Amino acid sequence: MLQSPINTYTNNPSSSSSSSMSSKRSLVEEDPVITKRPRNFSEGEEQEVVRVDDADSIGLRLLGLLLQCAECVATENLGEAGNLLPEIAELSSPYGSSAERVAAYFAEALSARIISCHLRFYSPLNLKSLTLTHSQKLFTALQSYNTISPLIKFSHYTANQAIYQALEGEDHVHVIDLDIMQGLQWPGLFQILTSRPKKLHSFKITGIGSSMELLESTGRRLTEFANSFGLPFEFKPVEGKIGNITDLSQLGVKVGETTVVNWMHHCLYDITGSDLGTFRLLTLLRPKLITTVEQDLGHGGNFLGRFVEALHYYSALFDALGDGLSEESVERHMVEQQLFGSEIRNIVAVGGPKRTGEVPVERWGDELKRVGFLPVSLSGTPAAQASLLLGMFPRGYTLVEENGCLKLGWKDLSLLTASAWQPCD
Amino acid sequence: MEKSLFFSNSKHTNKYFLENKDVHHFHAHHHIHLINMQNPNQKPHHENSSRSQSPKYEEPVSDAKWAPRLLRECATAISNMDSTKIHHLLWMLNELASPYGDCNQKLAFYFLQALFCKATDTGLRCYKTLTSAAEKSKSFDSSRKLILKFQEVSPWTTFGHVASNGAILEALDGETKLHIIDISNTFCTQWPTLLEALATRNDETPHLKLTVVVTESISVKSVMKEVAQRMEKFARLMGVPFEFNVISGLNHLNELTKESLNIQEEEALAVNCIGALRKVEVEERGGVIRMLKSLNPKVVTIVEHEADFSSTRNDFVKCFEECLRFYTLYFEMLDESFPTTSNERLVIERECSKSIVKVLACDNEIGEGDGERRERGNQWSERLRECFSPFPLNDDAVDDVKALIKRYKAGWSLVLPQENQEPPGIYLTWGEEPVVWASAWKPHEKSLDVAT
Repeated sequence: MLQSPINTYTNNPSSSSSSSMSSKRSLVEEDPVITKRPRNFSEGEEQEVVRVDDADSIGLRLLGLLLQCAECVATENLGEAGNLLPEIAELSSPYGSSAERVAAYFAEALSARIISCHLRFYSPLNLKSLTLTHSQKLFTALQSYNTISPLIKFSHYTANQAIYQALEGEDHVHVIDLDIMQGLQWPGLFQILTSRPKKLHSFKITGIGSSMELLESTGRRLTEFANSFGLPFEFKPVEGKIGNITDLSQLGVKVGETTVVNWMHHCLYDITGSDLGTFRLLTLLRPKLITTVEQDLGHGGNFLGRFVEALHYYSALFDALGDGLSEESVERHMVEQQLFGSEIRNIVAVGGPKRTGEVPVERWGDELKRVGFLPVSLSGTPAAQASLLLGMFPRGYTLVEENGCLKLGWKDLSLLTASAWQPCD
Repeated sequence: MEKSLFFSNSKHTNKYFLENKDVHHFHAHHHIHLINMQNPNQKPHHENSSRSQSPKYEEPVSDAKWAPRLLRECATAISNMDSTKIHHLLWMLNELASPYGDCNQKLAFYFLQALFCKATDTGLRCYKTLTSAAEKSKSFDSSRKLILKFQEVSPWTTFGHVASNGAILEALDGETKLHIIDISNTFCTQWPTLLEALATRNDETPHLKLTVVVTESISVKSVMKEVAQRMEKFARLMGVPFEFNVISGLNHLNELTKESLNIQEEEALAVNCIGALRKVEVEERGGVIRMLKSLNPKVVTIVEHEADFSSTRNDFVKCFEECLRFYTLYFEMLDESFPTTSNERLVIERECSKSIVKVLACDNEIGEGDGERRERGNQWSERLRECFSPFPLNDDAVDDVKALIKRYKAGWSLVLPQENQEPPGIYLTWGEEPVVWASAWKPHEKSLDVAT
């Protein structure tokens, strides 16, 4: 009945055959990075539902099954992939150990991908057509995430410190936030700006986002906070995608003001539209400073490569989150389901949040170098501050300085890279 | 300290966001993948769709019940074989669904699975895979824990138990040798209360023989061994003379006979069917009821979910609607009864997914294992009246049920039969909707020969 080609529906027995498991084992053995991973998978606590295997072996089994399933998807063997999913689902749960939780969301994403493979259509639903409730849920989850994990604070504090340093001696400031969401980053900047001896003459934030309603709400909040700090504040909402902005007047850029561009990356939805367009804009703007925080996650390459990398990445994230909170934590569940689950889905089910037909950018920092920007070192106050921040969270987070960038990681895996850039003049 | 920004609770209005032409271009670029795209100006209230080449529905997913709406539309499209619409709705549902989200998202996920199977004719395969995966992870401990947790948070199952026990106790009052045939899959969680009642009621504690008929797959057999041990231990504790038997490996319930069940002449017989009749193939239901009659019981207790997947089985959309209605209630009930991060609830939801696939996407496969074609109380009544008359619950039993319901969160209540109104039996309601029907029956005075 469906037009889409129904692929080979072989009569494989539903249980995963041991022969395919052993071929999976060789994949695990060959890649040394992967063999290290099971240790993270084994950080399972006592499970509620009694199982015959222990946490370690469940983690390994899940890893094997997930890789097997991903391989099937990569080779368009959708029937076999579909056969594996119920087994993976039964072993996993969003309310279990971190291995079980990661697996639950990756299995969900694979299931979504299998269906979209059949439909031969991968474009994501435009966030705008989702309910306000859904967006609110997302932002509530972000607030929780901000509380239970240092990643957001790290991003915000580091960027704000770099911005503060760059604004020394400047009186007319225009911050362009390429993806403002609910503007969680800015009250912190307000605070340190008011501690300056020399007051600002003007301070404007231009926020880009996908919904005017949400932007205006953010604007109202920020204005209220800025006024409470006595800052001469102005807010400009811009609805749309970054890559579609071709004229600086759309951003309200004026002569005589110091522009700073701020960009916090995520995989929740696509904000750029066109990466090339975004570059053009940044080059056009030539702001005094660009602050950016990127996830250490590749967006290019083939499906299987992206899948494996994402599996490592989110295993570390789930481990980190799991370390502080109990299995029953509703807050943690909301963070994982609303945020991580959505990102994993975007990466696995849709092939990355961007689908503009262009080759996606791997590292914005590297690209900025090519178009005439130089790194601004974050060692010094930003690094010291980040170090202090991590001290307030469970042990296991790592901070590394590399070429002036700050990298936040969990154990031996780098999660975020914060960097700052200035035009080379 | 950084204050956090809280989102304003502005009232949401059904605004259609204006699409600038760049966004149109973006979407149009990706529709080269789609096949057979027509301009689907099907919804007259689309404000901006006329310029769009794509079936991008501007209609925002803004109402609280977006999942039932989209699912219904998809089922209709499948019934009409509207390929374009099917594609688009499956895609939308796929984007929004999640087995770990809110109720809407869960319903979307599990029904999407069934619709997808229906559209690709892979229902039976999917059902088999789901079943075998579930079997692997089942254990006595996990199953038992699940049932007990469910009984703790919701009267959904205990309602039927209490009602049935009440009827059984009344019907077998004064008898010395009791034989209960239990055709349910509740791991005998119903019987401890009954045993206790038997022990404390009378001076003379009667002898109880319990024969459990297992209709599910073979792996449940090992579980029943554990159950047997526990039951025997409990009976000893209660001081009730007790005998326990298990009958399994049956293909068809109507194969049961007095002999195979080891029913003795001097025994007072009760047959307890909790969710058993719906597992019988529709065509065989009359035969099973006649078989029950042939056992000559003093009472038959029937408990079933209040839903009709049977009379609509040849009309996909109608059947879909009813299935959606029932499972929406069920999922909402589960959501409100269990804690958010409950693994037990997750397992129950996954069990539902199998039933949903079975009912909606396996319609050509009969006799392939557990059917799940539920019928409503009035439908079962009609069937039962061929051989049985209602055995009304006495006041004590009704009081017991009322007391039970009081122990749970608000939202549950009891509906008693009106005078001379069909069907007999009592209903458990959740949020004003009848969800479980419990009834008791006794054989007609004269034996009616069925002349069709």
